[in-house]
Amino acid sequence: MNPLSDPAVQQTLTGVFRLALPEIVLLGTACLAFLVGPFANRRWLWFAAALAGVAGAMVVAGVMKAEPPAVPTVAPLIPDAAAAFVRWLALISAAVFLFVSWPEAGRGHAAEYYGCLLVAAAGVSLTGRANDLITLFLALELLSIPTYILLYLPAQDRPNQEAAVKYFLLSVLSSALLLFGFSYLYGLTGTTNITAIVDTLTRANAAELSPMALLAAVLVVAAAGFRVTAVPFHFYAPDVYEGGPAGVVAQIAFLPKVAGLVALARVLGLLAADPRHQPFPVDTHLPLLLWVVAVLTMSVGNVLALLQDNLRRMLAYSGVAHGGYLLIGLVVATSLPDNPGRPAVGGMDAVFVYLAAYGAMTVGAFAVVLYLSTPDRPIDGIDDLAGLGESHPVTAGCMTVFLLSLIGIPLTAGFVGKLLLFVGAFTAPADTLSMGHLYQVLAVIAAVNSAVGAYYYLRVIGVMYLRSPVRPPADSRSLPTKLAVLALAGFTLVFGIYPDPLVKAGRRAAPVAATQTADG
Amino acid sequence: MSEPLLLAFAVLGLLLGATVLTALLSLSAGLKRFAHLPLVVACGASAVLAMILVGRVQAGGSAPRFVSDPLTWFAAGKLTVNLTLAVDPLAAVMLATVTFVATWIAIFSSGYMRDDHGGPDRGYVRYFAVMSLFVFSMCGLVLANNFLLLVGFWEGVGVCSYLLVGYYYDKPAAAAAARKAFLVTRLGDTGFLLGIFLLWRLGGWHTDLTALFDHIQKHPPDTASLTAACLLVFCGAVGKSAQFPLYVWLPDAMEGPTPVSALIHAATMVTAGVYLVARCAPVFALVPDAQAVVAWAGGITALLAAVIALTQTDLKRVLAYSTVSQLGYMFLALGTLGAISPVFAVTAALFHLFTHAFFKALLFLASGSVMHAMGGVIDMRRFGGLRRVMPVTHLTFLCGAAALAGIPLLSGFWSKDAILEALKLGGESAHPYAGAFHVLLLVGLFTAGLTAFYTFRAYFLTFWGPTRIPEEAGHHAHESPAVMTGPLLVLAVGALAAGAVAGPLTHWFETFVGRTPSLQQAAAVVGMKAPSHAFDWGLAGVSTLLAVGGVGLAAVMYARGRPAKVPAGLEPVVALSRNKLYVDEVYEAALVKPMAGLAVAARVFDLFLDALSRLLASVPRFLGGLVRPVQNGLVQFYALSMALGAAVLVSFVAFRITR
Repeated sequence: MNPLSDPAVQQTLTGVFRLALPEIVLLGTACLAFLVGPFANRRWLWFAAALAGVAGAMVVAGVMKAEPPAVPTVAPLIPDAAAAFVRWLALISAAVFLFVSWPEAGRGHAAEYYGCLLVAAAGVSLTGRANDLITLFLALELLSIPTYILLYLPAQDRPNQEAAVKYFLLSVLSSALLLFGFSYLYGLTGTTNITAIVDTLTRANAAELSPMALLAAVLVVAAAGFRVTAVPFHFYAPDVYEGGPAGVVAQIAFLPKVAGLVALARVLGLLAADPRHQPFPVDTHLPLLLWVVAVLTMSVGNVLALLQDNLRRMLAYSGVAHGGYLLIGLVVATSLPDNPGRPAVGGMDAVFVYLAAYGAMTVGAFAVVLYLSTPDRPIDGIDDLAGLGESHPVTAGCMTVFLLSLIGIPLTAGFVGKLLLFVGAFTAPADTLSMGHLYQVLAVIAAVNSAVGAYYYLRVIGVMYLRSPVRPPADSRSLPTKLAVLALAGFTLVFGIYPDPLVKAGRRAAPVAATQTADG
Repeated sequence: MSEPLLLAFAVLGLLLGATVLTALLSLSAGLKRFAHLPLVVACGASAVLAMILVGRVQAGGSAPRFVSDPLTWFAAGKLTVNLTLAVDPLAAVMLATVTFVATWIAIFSSGYMRDDHGGPDRGYVRYFAVMSLFVFSMCGLVLANNFLLLVGFWEGVGVCSYLLVGYYYDKPAAAAAARKAFLVTRLGDTGFLLGIFLLWRLGGWHTDLTALFDHIQKHPPDTASLTAACLLVFCGAVGKSAQFPLYVWLPDAMEGPTPVSALIHAATMVTAGVYLVARCAPVFALVPDAQAVVAWAGGITALLAAVIALTQTDLKRVLAYSTVSQLGYMFLALGTLGAISPVFAVTAALFHLFTHAFFKALLFLASGSVMHAMGGVIDMRRFGGLRRVMPVTHLTFLCGAAALAGIPLLSGFWSKDAILEALKLGGESAHPYAGAFHVLLLVGLFTAGLTAFYTFRAYFLTFWGPTRIPEEAGHHAHESPAVMTGPLLVLAVGALAAGAVAGPLTHWFETFVGRTPSLQQAAAVVGMKAPSHAFDWGLAGVSTLLAVGGVGLAAVMYARGRPAKVPAGLEPVVALSRNKLYVDEVYEAALVKPMAGLAVAARVFDLFLDALSRLLASVPRFLGGLVRPVQNGLVQFYALSMALGAAVLVSFVAFRITR
């Protein structure tokens, strides 16, 4: 019989649309916005439509039962727990971004703005469930392309154009690297299905390491590094964050990091059904490479953030540093094959928790910047926030919550995420040949970096509360942005004070089996 | 969830809601004068709910304990902290007492916290918001079934106490008193936390009280470490309940508004230590050494504070020392919990806590009423003969004073008698420290005489003799408004009758509290049944004689409203008492001065460290300066860096695998 007419394969391939229904709803809403927008470009209309689209996607995502595909080795999408976590992260953040970007989405391009936003969210959500190199690449591009447009849409002045062009060129370069890597993976394994690739490479590398596979993996790391703002692929971040519109920058600071980390974890087999079987365990030295990149990223991010007087650049480098912290989770996850028993933190669960916390605090900080900025009184330098505690007590309070969370002060979500990452690194096995105590060293380096980071965040709090307002920011009238700021601050505090649900969700998204079934 | 738990959650919800609502009222200038309403309504409703709760718990079978489903707050390794509440007779009685007294004090406050023109005081909203938070935290403390949750509320009441003692924060004495109160209790809390960690280790890594006690009962750890744990936990009680040697903060805390003194520093927060030891009775029952320490601490405090109270001239300070002394009585009773039946000992202590809440809150509120009329003057040398000016205040103060003095048939008489009886039985028991209980019984009796004397000294000095009014009061010295005298009358009824009704008439209190499962558990550990209720006529007779004698002596010496001449031989004793036994001075010389010296040394070391850390801190900046030029803004350079970076990554891996 023709293997292609196997009913299980047929069912897997036809069932794929069911698995992407929420994303289809988002894309459908976006298409509607693009088509009808030119004729009726009212902000409130498209805000409501986009919100309805997100709500519809949420309803569909909540109601639809995800059947695992019958044949995972041909399935383009895989609806596992991690995919569900990323989807909800994308949908909730899409809703938040709708509120945050209210002041930017005016002047006759609201439909395009909101449409692009929905497409980007759909891209992130699809990245979470892509199980095929082609789908993964498409999902990532679905995120990148609307971002180019978004960067250019709201304010078309020179720094803005510069930011858009820089982001476009470098993003395309990183996509090229990604495709280069993917082509090797395809050439080596003869398939584009990620489950099949991971299985094949795991078996092959267990016998003898394939240098070409390793080269492909390094290229994928480099491409994902661009999205995670890992050093040395972070250069665009400060320039783009400084020049881009604040609402869009908030998205660039968050969504690509989610997509990049999840894509990398998928290709490295860290989110596979059994994360203890990885194609690139520690003896391939790829985890060591990730270790080096993590250390470089957090250190460079922190020391450069120290020098910034521009708030946006400071937040950009802070984002770089947090990308470094997030990579700790990946490094920890690569230790799973050597970790018998049940580790307290598996690595990817900490990454998911930290992503949620990082999203709330970073988007929150940019939302504050956006909320306070007016065309004649933009918030650029840290000094522009002087005396905010007096002139805008509520906004200053929220900003303080975000900054304390970015430092990792207890009772904020940032602390919970950081604690999980550090605990993961600290309890990782210390007896492997090529890594030794490097996991523990990583935890110490990260802790030192956190201490360095506290300086520049606290400096902002000091400026807000201890300096008197020379020219206080005007009263913004963007109520939706304020609502989003309050909601994000609430999220940061609630899950800082009561982290259990978030930690449990992270754990469900990246489960680690209790015992090792077979030695990998 | 069972009904008692729902009621408990409703009480907490109401009070938390009142806190938030009051805080929100500060946003509107027009609504500020209604800031007392949330607290009054929430407290009143909570009091009603708490009384229903008492009824439900009473109908709750032979072992009435309701524990809420654990909701994990956080878990790290072996430490799991659950948000669990437990309702048992002990908690129910405490909850009802707290909310009932708080209701009347809240009503009183709405009349008391006024400025000179009768308008709301400047910090009216702040006052009621913090008071609400306090009552919420206190109820949470009573209901918590997890040690760390309990610590949370424990610190919560501490913070509220700090904020309220320092309510008049522009007054240096008040600010200093607030700081002192907070820091001294923190000293005890350090021990408390260490004790909790030790208990956690000994008790099978449980932090839930019930699970922990069960585990300790099933697997008794060695006595030495359990004694250490009990003593450390007792440290917390010593700080919070102002026992020797940490009692020094309570008299100073009188700088706060008088209703605060009535609620926090007489009726509720300071009794938290007593409640804590009562909750931990199953553990304390296992270690006789810890019981002896509790008893001695209580005895020493009771006597010491009573001696100091003899000569104080500040009405509120007399009452403050009296509170310290009465709390000492409660610990005396708790100390006997291993010698006699723990049920009897703890019930005696809690019964005194219960009656004390009424008459001491009453005395404080009455003195607040006096202070209100005297334009803020509280020095008894400057006013006198107020019984004609303030008849209601006078009568209610008399009720409270008589109850405190232990005049027969009033509340204080019954509860004090129960404590003395516990001590007497303890002395007759086979406990290793039985001899100590004999001595402590004498201490208790002597203190009872002193109590009657100093209480009526204050009463006569304030209300008898010729009428004298300080000039601060102006010409409008008059009885307080009904919103203040009403609560006084209600509490006066409680001071007169609560003891008799709940005690000897019905035996309700002891049977109800005696059914508390944890007390039964402690009784099982000690292996003793509650003694039969043979009223000890001899003991009651002696204490009555002492009380009447004390009152009579005070009447002879002070009935003319003037300080009496001291017999020549007693002058050094009086000086000692007036100067509070020089305890503050001793602490100053023995603790504060050396600490200050250490602080100077630490400061010098700190300067050195500062310089060092500045040097260290400049390293990241220096590094940043080195890296910065790379960020040159040229996109072609960025792209080159990315490509080179990828190349470096590849060669890094290539180098590693070919090596």
